[in-house]
Amino acid sequence: MSNVLNLTSVEKSFGGLKVIDNVSFNVKKGSRTALIGPNGAGKTTIFNLLSGIYEVDSGNISLDNNDITQIPARKRINIGMSRSFQNIRLMPHLSTIENVMLGQHHLANSARENFFPLGLIKTNKWAKLAEQSLIEAGLDTYPGQVVSELPYGVQKRIEVVRALVSNPKLLLLDEPAAGLNSTETKELQILLEKASSSGTTLLVVEHDMNFVRNLCQHVVVLNFGRKIFEGTPDEVSRDPQVLEAYLGGNDNNAS
Amino acid sequence: MLILQQLVNGLMLGSVYVMVAVAFTLTIGMLNFLNFTIPALFMVAAMITWAATAAGFHWLVAAAFGMIVAILASLVIERFTYRYMKAKYGDATEHALPLVSSLGFLIIFEHVVIMIWGTDPMTFNSPFAHAKFEISGIIFGIPQLISLALSIILVFGLSLLLKKTQLGRALRSIAEKPDTATLMGVDVGKIVPVVFVMTGFLCALAGILFTVNYQHVSPYIGDHVATNAIAGMVIGGLGNIWGAIAGGLLIGMVEVLSIHFWGADIIKVPVWSLMLIILVFRPAGLFGHTQIGKGKF
Repeated sequence: MSNVLNLTSVEKSFGGLKVIDNVSFNVKKGSRTALIGPNGAGKTTIFNLLSGIYEVDSGNISLDNNDITQIPARKRINIGMSRSFQNIRLMPHLSTIENVMLGQHHLANSARENFFPLGLIKTNKWAKLAEQSLIEAGLDTYPGQVVSELPYGVQKRIEVVRALVSNPKLLLLDEPAAGLNSTETKELQILLEKASSSGTTLLVVEHDMNFVRNLCQHVVVLNFGRKIFEGTPDEVSRDPQVLEAYLGGNDNNAS
Repeated sequence: MLILQQLVNGLMLGSVYVMVAVAFTLTIGMLNFLNFTIPALFMVAAMITWAATAAGFHWLVAAAFGMIVAILASLVIERFTYRYMKAKYGDATEHALPLVSSLGFLIIFEHVVIMIWGTDPMTFNSPFAHAKFEISGIIFGIPQLISLALSIILVFGLSLLLKKTQLGRALRSIAEKPDTATLMGVDVGKIVPVVFVMTGFLCALAGILFTVNYQHVSPYIGDHVATNAIAGMVIGGLGNIWGAIAGGLLIGMVEVLSIHFWGADIIKVPVWSLMLIILVFRPAGLFGHTQIGKGKF
C-alpha cells in the first residue's frame, strides 16, 4: 500500500521552544491512523502544520508524493486535505446545511456558481449533496437550524460532515470524540467507518483510547514534540516508553 | 395635507440614507470596520457627476464617471487601511487603526476636492427638475421615487445575495471566522474587496441620486448624509441590512418633520436624540444585529 501522507524530519519552534522535534511518519492510503500523546505533546501543532496554519521551520510534508510544504492554507482543501477542530469551529450564525455547504466552497467556486441563488432551487446538486450527507450522518433533523443552538455533540458531528463533503483524500480529525456521550461516540465511529470504507484516509488525534482501539489500525505516539513509538493499538498499550509518557517516569512518582 | 407631503419627502430623503446606512452596515457586519471614508465616497461621486456634466458630458456618462471613481477610491481604502493593517498587525478589526486611517482618507479626499473646486456649493442642473406628478395634492418627484425604488430593490437583492448564494455564504463565514473560512478554501484576499466594491457602488449611487434630487453639491455634503446614515444604521441594528432600511427611512422622516415643526437649525438634535434614546432601551437597535457577522464596532 502506498502512502497518502509523508512527514520527513518536520521541525517547528515557537520562540526558543522546540515544539516539534524531528518528527517523521507516514500515513498509508486508506488507513485509519491515530496520533496520540499526553497534553502538550504537539499533536494539534502537527495538525496545524499539516493544514498550513503554521509554516514548518524545516523538513517536508508531502501528500500523495507531492511536496505541499509551501502550499498556503486555503489551497490545501483543493488538494484533498480537510479537517475538524478540537474546539468546534463551525460558523455559529449559519444554519446546519449552510455550514455543510461551506465545505463544498472550493468545489462550487466558479463565477456562475458563486452568484447562483442555491437556496431558492431545492434541486441544486450541491444543496442535494449536502442534504444527503447529513442524512447519512443521521443529522437530517436540523438542516435549517442555526448551529449555535444545537447540542455540543451534534455540532461536533456537523463539523465532521463539513470536512467530509469536501471530498478529502486525507481527513484530519482533532479529538472528534471529546465531549461526546457513548451513543454519540458510537454514531461518530459508524460515520467515520463509512467514510473510511469509501476510500478516505483518516488521521485522528484522540485521547479516548477505547475509541482509538475500535477505529484505528495504526498508532503514532508523540511526547514532548518527538515521536516515541509507532505500531498497532495493542503494541502501543504494551510499550513501556508509552506507559511512562502517560503515567510519568519512576523518578516523578517518588513523592 | 402638508404633513403628508412632508412624510413623502422624508421617505424620499430617507431612501438616500438607506443606501449609505447599508454601506456602513456591510463593512461593520462583515469586517467589523467602521469605514469613515464613506462620506467622501458619496461626495466624490456627486462632485464628479456635477463636474463632468458641467464640462458638457451627458448626465449618464457623468454618473458613470462618478461611480467608477468612487469604486476605485473604495478599493484604495481597502488596500491601504484594511488590508495593509491586516497584513501588518494580524486581525486588523481588533484595532482602531483602520478606523483612524479611514478618517484620514476622508479628510484627504475632501480637501483634494476643495483644492480643485473650492468650498462653495454648486448648483446641479438636473435633467429631471420638473419630472413630478401629483396625487390629491401631494407632489411626488420622479427621481425621488426612482431612488426610493432603487434603494429597496438593491437592498432586497443584496439580502438575497448574502442569504442564498455561495458568495454570500463565503462573505458571511468571513464575517464569523475568517481563519476557518480560509481553511475551507474561501479566498479572503479576493472576497474582502467585493465588500468594498459594494460599499463604493452604494455610496456613489446614493451620492448621484442625492445630487439629481436636490440639485446642489458641495465638498461637505457627504458629512451630513453619512452621519445621519450612521444614526439610521445604529437605530436599525449594526450589521442588519433590513434594520438599515428601517433606520434610514425613519431618520429621513424625523429630519423632515423636525424641519417642519421646529425649523432647519435644530435637525441634528432630534435625529441624534432619537438614536440615543433607542440605544438606551435597545442597545442592539430595533432589529438586533445577528443578520451578518458580529455587528460590533
